[in-house]
Amino acid sequence: MTTKKKRTPHSQNDRWVVIAADSAVEPAKKEDSDPTFVRLRNPSTDAASLYLLGSGDGQLYEVKAFNEDFHSWFIGQTVQRDGRLLFVTPMDPLYLLLPYLIKASKEGKFQPVEQVVMDEDFPACTRLLSCTRALASLHHVAEEKDVGRQKFHRYSQQRTLDWLQKKAERTVKALRKRDLSVGEGVKSSTYVRVKHEPEAQAEDFLRYAHGLLSEYISEDLSRALHKHLQLPEISIPKAAEPPSKKRKLSDQPVEAGDDYTKFNSHDFARKPPKKMSAAQKTLAKVDKTGMKSMSAFFSPKGKAEKK
Amino acid sequence: MDLSEFEADNSVSCRLASAIPDVCKTQDCCLGIDEAGRGPVLGPMVYGICFCPVSKKEDLKNLKLADSKTLTEEQREDLFLKLDEAKSFVGWALQILSPNTISTSMLQRSKYNLNALSHDAAIGLVQFVLDSGVQLKELFVDTVGPAEKYQEKLSQRFPGVEVTVCPKADSLFPIVSAASICAKVARDHAVKSWTFPEDMGELDTNYGSGYPNDPKTKAWLLKYLDPVFGYPQFVRFSWSTAQTLLDSKAVPVHWDDDEEDGEKAAARQNNTSMLSYFKASAQQSDSRTPHRFFTERRLQSLHTL
Repeated sequence: MTTKKKRTPHSQNDRWVVIAADSAVEPAKKEDSDPTFVRLRNPSTDAASLYLLGSGDGQLYEVKAFNEDFHSWFIGQTVQRDGRLLFVTPMDPLYLLLPYLIKASKEGKFQPVEQVVMDEDFPACTRLLSCTRALASLHHVAEEKDVGRQKFHRYSQQRTLDWLQKKAERTVKALRKRDLSVGEGVKSSTYVRVKHEPEAQAEDFLRYAHGLLSEYISEDLSRALHKHLQLPEISIPKAAEPPSKKRKLSDQPVEAGDDYTKFNSHDFARKPPKKMSAAQKTLAKVDKTGMKSMSAFFSPKGKAEKK
Repeated sequence: MDLSEFEADNSVSCRLASAIPDVCKTQDCCLGIDEAGRGPVLGPMVYGICFCPVSKKEDLKNLKLADSKTLTEEQREDLFLKLDEAKSFVGWALQILSPNTISTSMLQRSKYNLNALSHDAAIGLVQFVLDSGVQLKELFVDTVGPAEKYQEKLSQRFPGVEVTVCPKADSLFPIVSAASICAKVARDHAVKSWTFPEDMGELDTNYGSGYPNDPKTKAWLLKYLDPVFGYPQFVRFSWSTAQTLLDSKAVPVHWDDDEEDGEKAAARQNNTSMLSYFKASAQQSDSRTPHRFFTERRLQSLHTL
């Protein structure tokens, strides 16, 4: 029995299974806007990603999906094919504001943030500025100037790197608390090591934290941070590839190096078809309809035969 | 026959046994094994054993036991009662393998086929009898699969017991006939009084013989096919009849041990496709792969809901 079950692509769902903090789904008070999913520019990939803004745009949340093959949900009396589990977790809006500040810094001027944080593709980005503490924390990544009542900002890489270093250190702390395996090899969490390797571990933790932070900053900034954290480069020896054996294409017509045809051309022409033995003849007469060809035994099996 | 122990939970395997006659603990005994309900797509498979002292073989013959297949249902019931009356020297034990047990065994990741399941049920029953103190000397079995192999397996498993495995044993040896009657009666009772743990509403129990080639059985299977869950536990999911219907009528369900063709499956199994060795080495891709914190946890960013 080899009926193939074809996997059709997921269709759109009208339901999701979400884990979110109460604060993320809290309904709006008074005239504030309700919590909404928004598409914003992902600072790491520069493409669209999904985020959630809490009620009144007070808090930014990132949305991640646990997605593994062969999962579905039973929800109440229904089945949902999409077995994903969405996580809505709080996020520092500064990460999303950073690319805009960096872009504006090319001009080298102090500018009001309202002018800087603008995006034709993602008009919702201005809402980031109303997040609690978003404006107040800009000084971590930019120099500030007060002119009258208005504030002007200019991106500062030095400040940003210091800020990111603090983030990295805090991440390391969090990672240590969780006792996460951060080293090169795979480690079982139940395996108790007698000897501790504190020095090597410290670097492993920092490297891991850097990797995590790099998910939230641009590639350039990630490299700068790598230097800033004084992480040694890991060099992976590149295996030298053997030269391609493909023949260079040229305009010249291809000619064989040696001509073997003159020795055997007439042999090919004259030879009568080989005589079959008696056994071969009888075999040839067998009705082969419905029989498997030899090659079928070497192709991947269909669903294992079942009783 | 009291099947209440099995009926309490008919999703698992259950053992029923008569009291062990005292003579069986002191005298050399012979034992017969047979099964009922091997072929049907519906209901349990029942393994039965019957044992008595070798010296009482003649008494057993006087009961005029015959292969259960040649008897009517009433005759079988009668003979079972007679066996029960002879409890001073005849003992029996049953292993009821629920259809659910059969389905889950045959369809689990490491396949446990019906022959292995049958052999193990038989061995389990014999071991049970030995543990109960029966002086077992002779063993007669109707074969499952090749007789020689089965006989070798049983001989090795039970040294000191003379094992005879042969086809048609149920008509050759009265003790096997007796076992066959016990098994068949138990199977009939179990099927007749099957309590469906599922909420089936107004249930139509007209499912015929339960054998795959019975048109009534097929019609019943079609009627009670749920697109999501398939069948009630009464049905052996591992039977090809059930599976073919599921494949054509029910929603496709994919398991990660489903065998699939092609490169995608190979990729899933972390095999490198042969073709990749012939490709020009791809340039280092520019897109950054997510950090292993996320890939290890199967976490992805989303673009849309």
